[in-house]
Amino acid sequence: MLYKISHRTTYLYKYPVSVGDHVACLRPRSFPGNHLLHSELHISPTPRVFSERVDYFGNTLSFFTVQESHEELVVEAKSQIESTGRKPRSQRDSMPWEDSARSLAEDRSTDALEAYQYQFESPRIRLRADFADYARASFLPERPMREALLDLTARIHADFRFDSKVTTVSTTMEEVFNKRRGVCQDFAHVQIACLRSLNIAARYVSGYLRTYPPPGRPRLIGADASHAWVSAYSRELGWLDVDPTNNVAPTDGHVTLAWGRDYSDVSPLRGLILGGGGHTLQVAVDMEPVEATSEFAGHSIEEPVKQ
Amino acid sequence: MIGDLYQSSLRYGASYEEWSEDGASPRPHWAHTIDWLRSVGADELGRRWTRAERRIRENGITYNIYGDPLGANRPWRIDIVPMLIPAAEWRFIESGVIQRATLLSRLLQDLYGPQDLVREGRFPAALLYGNTAFLRPLVGVKVPEHSYLHMLAVDLARSPDGKWWVLADRTQAPSGSGYALENRTIVSDLLPELFRTSNVMRLAPFFRAQRDALTSLSKRENPRVVLLTPGPHNETYFEHSYLAKYLGFALVEGADLTVRDRCVFLKTVDGLERVDVILRRVDDNFCDPLELRGDSLLGVSGLVDAIAAGNVQVANALGSGLIETAAIMPFLPGLARHLLGEELKLPSVATWWCGQESAREWVLANLERVVVKPAFPTLGMEPVFGSQLPDAERKAFIARLQAQPHRYVAQEQVALSTAPVWESGVLNSRSVVLRTYALNTGNGWAVIPGGLVRVAEASGSVVSMQRGGHSKDAWVLADDPGRVDTFSMLRSRDEPVLLRRIPRGVPSRVADNAFWLGRYVERSENIARILRSMVPHVRSAQEADLPSLLRLHGCLRSRHSKLPKRNRRPLTFVALENELLSMLSDPERPDSLPSTLAEVARIGGSIRERLSADMMLLIGQLRSAMQPEATMQLLDYQGALTACLALLSAFSGLERENINRGAGWLFMSIGRRLERAIYITRQLREITTPLAAEDWSFLERLLEVADSSMTYRSRYYTTLQPMPVLDVLLADETNPRSLDFQLEHLVELYEKLPRREEVELESMREALATLRGMDLQALIYPKMAAPATSGVAEGGGAAKRPTRTRASHALTGLHRYLGTLENLLLSWSNHLSSRYFSHARTQPVTIGSDL
Repeated sequence: MLYKISHRTTYLYKYPVSVGDHVACLRPRSFPGNHLLHSELHISPTPRVFSERVDYFGNTLSFFTVQESHEELVVEAKSQIESTGRKPRSQRDSMPWEDSARSLAEDRSTDALEAYQYQFESPRIRLRADFADYARASFLPERPMREALLDLTARIHADFRFDSKVTTVSTTMEEVFNKRRGVCQDFAHVQIACLRSLNIAARYVSGYLRTYPPPGRPRLIGADASHAWVSAYSRELGWLDVDPTNNVAPTDGHVTLAWGRDYSDVSPLRGLILGGGGHTLQVAVDMEPVEATSEFAGHSIEEPVKQ
Repeated sequence: MIGDLYQSSLRYGASYEEWSEDGASPRPHWAHTIDWLRSVGADELGRRWTRAERRIRENGITYNIYGDPLGANRPWRIDIVPMLIPAAEWRFIESGVIQRATLLSRLLQDLYGPQDLVREGRFPAALLYGNTAFLRPLVGVKVPEHSYLHMLAVDLARSPDGKWWVLADRTQAPSGSGYALENRTIVSDLLPELFRTSNVMRLAPFFRAQRDALTSLSKRENPRVVLLTPGPHNETYFEHSYLAKYLGFALVEGADLTVRDRCVFLKTVDGLERVDVILRRVDDNFCDPLELRGDSLLGVSGLVDAIAAGNVQVANALGSGLIETAAIMPFLPGLARHLLGEELKLPSVATWWCGQESAREWVLANLERVVVKPAFPTLGMEPVFGSQLPDAERKAFIARLQAQPHRYVAQEQVALSTAPVWESGVLNSRSVVLRTYALNTGNGWAVIPGGLVRVAEASGSVVSMQRGGHSKDAWVLADDPGRVDTFSMLRSRDEPVLLRRIPRGVPSRVADNAFWLGRYVERSENIARILRSMVPHVRSAQEADLPSLLRLHGCLRSRHSKLPKRNRRPLTFVALENELLSMLSDPERPDSLPSTLAEVARIGGSIRERLSADMMLLIGQLRSAMQPEATMQLLDYQGALTACLALLSAFSGLERENINRGAGWLFMSIGRRLERAIYITRQLREITTPLAAEDWSFLERLLEVADSSMTYRSRYYTTLQPMPVLDVLLADETNPRSLDFQLEHLVELYEKLPRREEVELESMREALATLRGMDLQALIYPKMAAPATSGVAEGGGAAKRPTRTRASHALTGLHRYLGTLENLLLSWSNHLSSRYFSHARTQPVTIGSDL
């Protein structure tokens, strides 16, 4: 499926900002199953300094500094992406999850090392015995990796309530785990913590999710939102994407933007400003399918939930 | 032997005794020192030790211990007996330290570069990925090779068999070299005879080499180097300012720097000045809130990007904290063989990283023999001594360790060697650790000959400055006197040096502090003068003098006055005496004299690298000048106040005669003039609010406060009258305590400021012109029977005698002028803050991040 995506972030400041340093993680990654055809970034006011670097996780980060006084900052990322979803290495699912996790630590191939780094604590992910205990109900001894992973995804989906009122970007994962509610970012963090507490490498994926208007109504432009899900590593199958918010294994309805150890590695736009004195933030995402499609691509029969 | 001096409670043989093999006769390299100590004797050593302590106190050498009940600035503790190391032994240590520094530097280059060592299995991946000090944004960022480990500190201990072992490596922002230098200065001064006759290798060349190494990191002509400190609250702030001063670099905090166009700039009073090299004492994670820790207030937003653009060099390079962990120690012998083709010369103390299965099993089986530490910098884990672990906690601890074993490292507990320490009149044996420093000159390594010896407290063998231990100087004894100052990699001394007269721009923060130092010194003087002129009269005066004393007290404009509100109860001498005592002695009261002097000390301390040693000494003495004893009566303070004023005069003498007329001095002087003008304005307003004739004794107090009694008497042989007093204090431009004098100098000083605002200058000139345009002769003081007979000598003769109403109207006008002027003075102060200092105070706000 080919998509035209627009991701527009607006900061409105109460007082003028004299200098703003920013980092944007808004250039979508390109890889088999997520083919980037076009990407552009519009920033207003025009930054004095702009540079881009590929970070340790392979995402393109855009650094820019606005050095003129401004009361509004608009960053709009536009891209065209062809998504078919990540194809697993094989359709088999035979390796017990324990073997998959254990052997990763001993493999020093580039792929394995790249995956291994997602097995550790990270700024927003703590490893704890109670997370491991929760995950073990799905990760039964000798159970094949993908089967266990999908089961955990379904359980988080069932046990946690989607609730955009209880959490903010600063809510810790422990709170989310105890309250059993949150948004897609929280669901992803919970699942990552559960997996890593069992020594399974898991990473945080930021991206977009296609949504559907109610039957007979036109698609509302800009009503979409950015989304987040999880990718876990299997020695046998490679990276397996799962979306605990919607209880699906993403296919062509999900578009990947970036990945990292947790949200803090891929937050779409952050920065430091001088002045401002308070601000309001508006985010508008629009995901327009370029070709018509007939049905929701996923394993779930429920309505997908966005952030 | 020195049995008369030496009283050790320790058994010999349990640990290596540095000075002696048998506890009786000294080892050969100690013989001279021991002889000398004995010949000097305990009494003289005691006297010298007292002198050392006083000098430390007066120089304000401090070490901040977090959460110390004794106050943030604890005096540095030093022992006068140096630790001695013979040249031959030192050559071995030196080569071992250089080898280790080379190895660690190569390791950092690989881990922040190709990471071949990880791929080849020579360095465990978990030690990289699990390490919170691994700064991913720095991977692949090109920096000069010799900036990775510009400086390495190695903690060395000697085991009972006499061998040296490495306890820890400090790769992040090693501290202590400045204290080592200060220790050397103090000890060589206290024991000059011993120092002169011992062929001690000098430290100065090492620091010259450091300055050259830092300069060489930049390719720009005459690069600007700054020392980045977390600020005055940091434990080793004294050292930061000491080193900045010694090396000649500006001492800056994160807020003093800014990144523009991918370059780092220092905010100075002249505007932004490019910074080329940063010697950092801020942990790398805190250096850039944009790309590293978003909650850091100590860093510079955009620093990592400026480094990536190659526009600034940081030493040690950001990310170097990665290998500060002891967990790397088990891998060093293998890495030395692989990277250097050599065996490790200096062994590390036995270390087990629990991320390795065999090591973990050994640790769990031998827990009582080791101390377990966090492998990565994390808050909240103290070292766990296996032997002291209660059974109840043991199981939970083992479970935690097994859940994430790579986060733990275990080390054998070392029996540290002991050295003689001078304590309460005798020599005792205390455990010691030697911290020495290797410097990457870019052209080979240099090791400081000696370093900082840290001494354990009486009980236990844990050596830590943070736990309140003290330190010693280390003397490396050269074989012959010619060898004490040889340093091969030094720039030749006859290389021509570019002369520069124009000083570099003064950082805004320094200007800010200089300005307030000027204001607070002047404020202290005014408070002291007012109090001194009141104290003798509170007890002896007539009831009728009370109003005039209260007027004088009013000049203090105290917001924390202990006097009852005027309309409630009649004021009494008792109330006034209590108020004065509070002003003189209450350290809790923000506007008391001791608090004001404490503020002088605080502000002075924060720019100590800009002040001369004499000035810091005065500031220290000032602070202790007004530390009252509980038994002191009001009259006892008279002497203390006079002493305090003498110190303040000495301070202004230094200010006038011993400071370069740069921007720092300008701001300090402006601060002083402003503050004095504010006080005079207040005092004069007490006269222009017409005084009743019986209150005229106030005038005498006022002249005393303004040190102008003599001037007055030499001009007017009459009794005190308001108009002539006004003239002396308001308009006499030759009187350095008149208002005219202050305004004239303010204008002069402000004219010299860079980037000055013409509007402000105009308003100052105008205020001065208005003052000078006033015809005081024409004023008639209310209720005066006749006009003053002997008027102002110059220009007053022709004045027509004004009518009485117009004259008192003119007095009201003067009163109003003074009121307006006081507001103007305050607005100039605010103007200076916003124009020159404010950008040093603004902190950026993080948005949209993961805080």
